[in-house]
Amino acid sequence: KWKGEGTTQNLESIVIGRCYDYIRIVNPAVGEKNCSQIWEAFKNAFINKDPCSILPGDYELFINLTFHTIPPNKSLFWENNQLLVNSFADRGRRYMSLADTLFGFIGDFLNWCGQADSPGLDYESCPTTMECENNAVESFWRMASIIYAQHSSGVIHVLLNGSTDGGAYPQPGFFADYEIPNLQKDKISQIVIWVVDDIEGPDIESCGAHSVKTLETRLTALGYDVTCTDNDK
Amino acid sequence: MPLQQGSARMRQRTVLLVGIVVLLAALVLAVVLASLLTHGRHEVSPKMLKWKDRGTTKNLQEVILGRCYNYITAQHPELGDKDCLKIWESLKDAFIYKNPCNITPEDYQPLMELASHPIPCNKSLFWSKTGDLVHRYTKSNQNFLTLEDTLLGYMADRISWCGDPSAPGINYESCPKRNECESNPGSVFWKMASKKFAEAACGVVQVMLNGSVEAGAFRSSSIFGSVEVFNLDPDKVSEVHIWLMQDIGGPQSESCSGHSIQRLISILEERNFKIICEDNYRPVQLLQCVHNPDHTDCRLCTNST
Repeated sequence: KWKGEGTTQNLESIVIGRCYDYIRIVNPAVGEKNCSQIWEAFKNAFINKDPCSILPGDYELFINLTFHTIPPNKSLFWENNQLLVNSFADRGRRYMSLADTLFGFIGDFLNWCGQADSPGLDYESCPTTMECENNAVESFWRMASIIYAQHSSGVIHVLLNGSTDGGAYPQPGFFADYEIPNLQKDKISQIVIWVVDDIEGPDIESCGAHSVKTLETRLTALGYDVTCTDNDK
Repeated sequence: MPLQQGSARMRQRTVLLVGIVVLLAALVLAVVLASLLTHGRHEVSPKMLKWKDRGTTKNLQEVILGRCYNYITAQHPELGDKDCLKIWESLKDAFIYKNPCNITPEDYQPLMELASHPIPCNKSLFWSKTGDLVHRYTKSNQNFLTLEDTLLGYMADRISWCGDPSAPGINYESCPKRNECESNPGSVFWKMASKKFAEAACGVVQVMLNGSVEAGAFRSSSIFGSVEVFNLDPDKVSEVHIWLMQDIGGPQSESCSGHSIQRLISILEERNFKIICEDNYRPVQLLQCVHNPDHTDCRLCTNST
């Protein structure tokens, strides 16, 4: 029916398990959370609804229940280099990327959607963003990105891929559309951009040129103190 | 008429008596309940044994189940036939209600059978005193698998558990440290899982050792030195590659020519394995350099044309 993969099997156990894994082992500093309640809030954002009518705001209760502060100077934004970000962020110890927050940790690499007039999850197929933008997963990440950006402070780092065809700073993109507009200027001291090429990959983009220049210009115009470095060591 | 009035009064008196009895019973019940509850609150599990290490991880069941499903669903769909509920039950049965100093390998046999899966050749990566670094490496390079990247190790990593003969059978307050008793649930588990992991290895195997520890990179008392080395199968494993990693800017206590490495090499050669040892294996060193980019060891070639 839809073109995308269906809901991940055993979604409930995975979500609840990840929630407890995070608060007990990954980052116990966030304190006590009610993981069953969190699952309910997550589910209620999208079940029993048309899977093309889910909005970021539908996840508001989920975000409220999973929210925790992000330490200053630890935010790491990225585009097109997820694996690099994971090893660089070092499980939240060096940096705390979105996937290192409780709300990001819960949703990472999972897929889900519901159906209208039924409380069940659709395990057969889910709409892709091409089929409709307001789908459960897209809206989740939009909401998560917004919150992550709103609560970032201090020195912000952005890791971009200088070897990708889509451009180091993709537009449209999560960073461009949901994160930059939600950065709190009065809480941010500096934005540090790193453009990293794949090893033996093409050097398509660099600081001061093409899409990276567009990004630098945009951020400077917004009043941020911006620096950019190529191929960070 | 007098008879009727008499029986009405009797009925009234009976009702009154019954009412009083019910009230008294409720009062007694309330007192008993209150004392039981306060008693329970002040003396949580009074009969449970007390140990020196941290207790069972809270929400153990949810974490284990979640990790199991996460592993087989989101990460390794080829293991889709694994039954996570059964796996959890077999883990629980291994230690619940048992004295945590009396755990045997037999206790874990059902779990080992349910959760084990084949490991592709040339991918097994053993390690000793390099836990942080080795797992950062396998996270960024899926060509290698440590025990903690297999289903069993993935579920149990960084978690603790132990039982107790008194209810509820799981001790969340404390668990035995290895020096309190060796046959504790955690130690027996990891020893057995490591043995199975070594037995399953084939082709070329790798081991990441720490050349900056004073006590020596290879120690016979470690799980690698006492269990894994001796359970590699010479009919399946052809070569052992040693990666001897020193901390960037850290003490260079040992290198491939060091004493404990020579000892390891002779143990392995005696078992007919071919050995190659490499100091500061570059791909892993590059990962260390992420945190020390300015150190001389981390400089890339600066000759540019």
